[in-house]
Amino acid sequence: MVREYPSGRAGPARLAAMRLKRRMFMAGFTASMLGAPAVLRAQPAAFRFGLTPVFLDNDWQLLEHLRSHLRAEMGRPIEFVQRRTYQEVTALLLMGDLDAAWLCGFPLLQNRERLAALALPLWQGAPLYRSRVITSAGRAAQDLGDLRGDIHAYSDPDSNSGHLVTLSELLRRQHRPEEFFARSFFTYGHRNVVRAVARGLAQSGSVDGYVWDVMRRHEPELVDQTRIVWESEDFGFPPIVVSRDALETAQSQRFLAALEAMPRTDAGQQALAMLQLDGFVLPEAHSFERIAARMRIVAERG
Amino acid sequence: MVKGPLLAAGLLVLVGLLASQLVLRTLVATQERHLREMALLEFAGIEATVGPFVVRDDIWEMFDLLDRVTRREGSLRPLRATLIDPLGRVIVSSDPRLHPIGAQRTEMIAAATSVTAEHYDLADGEVALSQVLHYQERALGKLIIDFDTTGFVAERERTVTFLVIGNALASLFAALVGFMVMRRVLRPIARLTNAMGQGTDGLQPIPEQSIPRRNPEIAQLYDNYNRLVHAVEERNATVKRLAERERFVSLGRLAGTLAHEVNNPLGGLLNTVDTLRTYPERADVVKSSADLLDRGLRHMRDVVRATLDTHRAAPEATALSRADFDDLSLLIRPEAERRGQDLHWQVSLPEGAIDGLPSGPVRQIALNLLLNASAAAGYGGKIGLRLAREDDAIMLGIQDSGPGLPDHLRARLLSDAPVEPGGGVGLRLVRELVQGMGGQISLGRSPEGLNEIRVQLPLAAEGGRDA
Repeated sequence: MVREYPSGRAGPARLAAMRLKRRMFMAGFTASMLGAPAVLRAQPAAFRFGLTPVFLDNDWQLLEHLRSHLRAEMGRPIEFVQRRTYQEVTALLLMGDLDAAWLCGFPLLQNRERLAALALPLWQGAPLYRSRVITSAGRAAQDLGDLRGDIHAYSDPDSNSGHLVTLSELLRRQHRPEEFFARSFFTYGHRNVVRAVARGLAQSGSVDGYVWDVMRRHEPELVDQTRIVWESEDFGFPPIVVSRDALETAQSQRFLAALEAMPRTDAGQQALAMLQLDGFVLPEAHSFERIAARMRIVAERG
Repeated sequence: MVKGPLLAAGLLVLVGLLASQLVLRTLVATQERHLREMALLEFAGIEATVGPFVVRDDIWEMFDLLDRVTRREGSLRPLRATLIDPLGRVIVSSDPRLHPIGAQRTEMIAAATSVTAEHYDLADGEVALSQVLHYQERALGKLIIDFDTTGFVAERERTVTFLVIGNALASLFAALVGFMVMRRVLRPIARLTNAMGQGTDGLQPIPEQSIPRRNPEIAQLYDNYNRLVHAVEERNATVKRLAERERFVSLGRLAGTLAHEVNNPLGGLLNTVDTLRTYPERADVVKSSADLLDRGLRHMRDVVRATLDTHRAAPEATALSRADFDDLSLLIRPEAERRGQDLHWQVSLPEGAIDGLPSGPVRQIALNLLLNASAAAGYGGKIGLRLAREDDAIMLGIQDSGPGLPDHLRARLLSDAPVEPGGGVGLRLVRELVQGMGGQISLGRSPEGLNEIRVQLPLAAEGGRDA
């Protein structure tokens, strides 16, 4: 059912666990159906694009539009590579097993010497998004401070909005995160954080504000069971990242051009519409300053 | 005649009920087996996957797994799945609002049924099944899955409804058929019962054209019955003849007495006539002879009239009165005197106390019993008649100093047993007359220590029960 990628480093137990995940099933399904055969995949012609849950990567129709646009623009087959954690995708990118990946600003900054942002998505006219702390719709909590003693759902240890922001905010407010929440766990997906809070598995959760908004249109019955308790300042939107060495290569530039061309093709427009994004722009020097500031708060604490 | 077919119908209904019970039991067993197989598959599937998640304390993956299990559609849907650690605390549940992480749920483990249990209680629409999960030979905890059994309950209810309606219809049909068949089988018996049991009409023979010759057993039964009817008819005719004869015997005896009674004064009267012829000129002799003749002839007239009154053609037409007992005294006295018997006559009722009783039958009853008493008392014995009022009846007691009524005569008087010829003149006649008036006969002793036959006759205001 699931194809094992030659570039995969995941152990058998990890794969067995993934086998049951619908998200991964969909990825495997699209990869096996739309991906190039093994013989062709070995050729450099296939562009390997790593995906993470910074966007709703479980929508195979969206992936199909994205693939269709990129293939047409780049003139190469596109291979989507999905892993459960940001860490795994980052590792693949660092090892050169991926040509590019849609990552969060936090892992980018963690590896700033070796990775670089190629492009930033535009959301509501700006390459910015916010982190949100949500709780169940019927709860009276008004601020992050009211959530003491909760079971809290984080997205990913390497997620800015789904972990770093809440952690640094608690530290900034002189709370000890490990004591503030009675218990916390990672769901490895912003959508899963919303599900966990909506179903009552967690009393509160840290979620990507962009994902929460998009989900509100796609799955209002789920999102309406949650509400925002606290919202962060603006951060640089999760960027398309490439190896710093490959930033100026023709391949990367072709990929950048393909991303910039998205509003101009049918498939690109459809993909953007589903993503509720306006397009892609070049990053600026200060795009991830605020994330870096959050990282410093955590680092200072040690 | 309805009992037999009803019994058959009842038996069919009983068989239907037993069959329904069997079907239901089989259904329950099938449902439990189905659920067990499903549950074992479910537990095995989760056990094969959840182990690494528990070891890594990966709450989200455990929740996602249990949540997916409960999202399946169809009957026997797992409603919720809850994983509980060996200390009874919730590790994770697909319904975290009901069973939050870390909540103590020892009682939930106790209430759950082991998946390997022999029987499950499916009636509540929900059943909690449990199994200990293992990973790498280590017990992870207990998994409890609540299965939705409303489908089973509904299926049972549907089956029960179907069975009840189906059985009712089938039983009704079978009972109807059984009823018809039994009725057909029992029709000859019903006919026989009808022929035998028509109230007082007695036994009716079955006409030859109604005897089913194709059915030899029934034909033989009918033939035997017809023979029985003829035998009974003959017997009844014989009894009737005997009763008639008794009546004539008693009449004959009375006639003898009457002849004697007429004959006795006749010699004296003829002598008186001779005296009259011899001394026609002696006025005193003529007068005394004429008086003597007058008395003798009057006595004879009275005796003849009493006899005629007793045996007149329509004796019931006249009401009973004190005069009837005077007549009876007149009729029995010569018989008693002939035997040198002492006659006690106690008729001390006020006039009108015996109104409403017919004269003829009472006279016959009393006369027959008195004649028998006289015969039983023997020479120099005692006989008597006592008439008394008892509530709404009169009691007629006939006494004698004889040895008492022997058994064969007692049967004539007190039972309907067949009458042997001879002896006990008119006793069966007495019985029939008393029964005809709605009365009763009993035996006893008089205050003087004599045998007494007591006849109680109701004074029916409406004029008798059986005229």
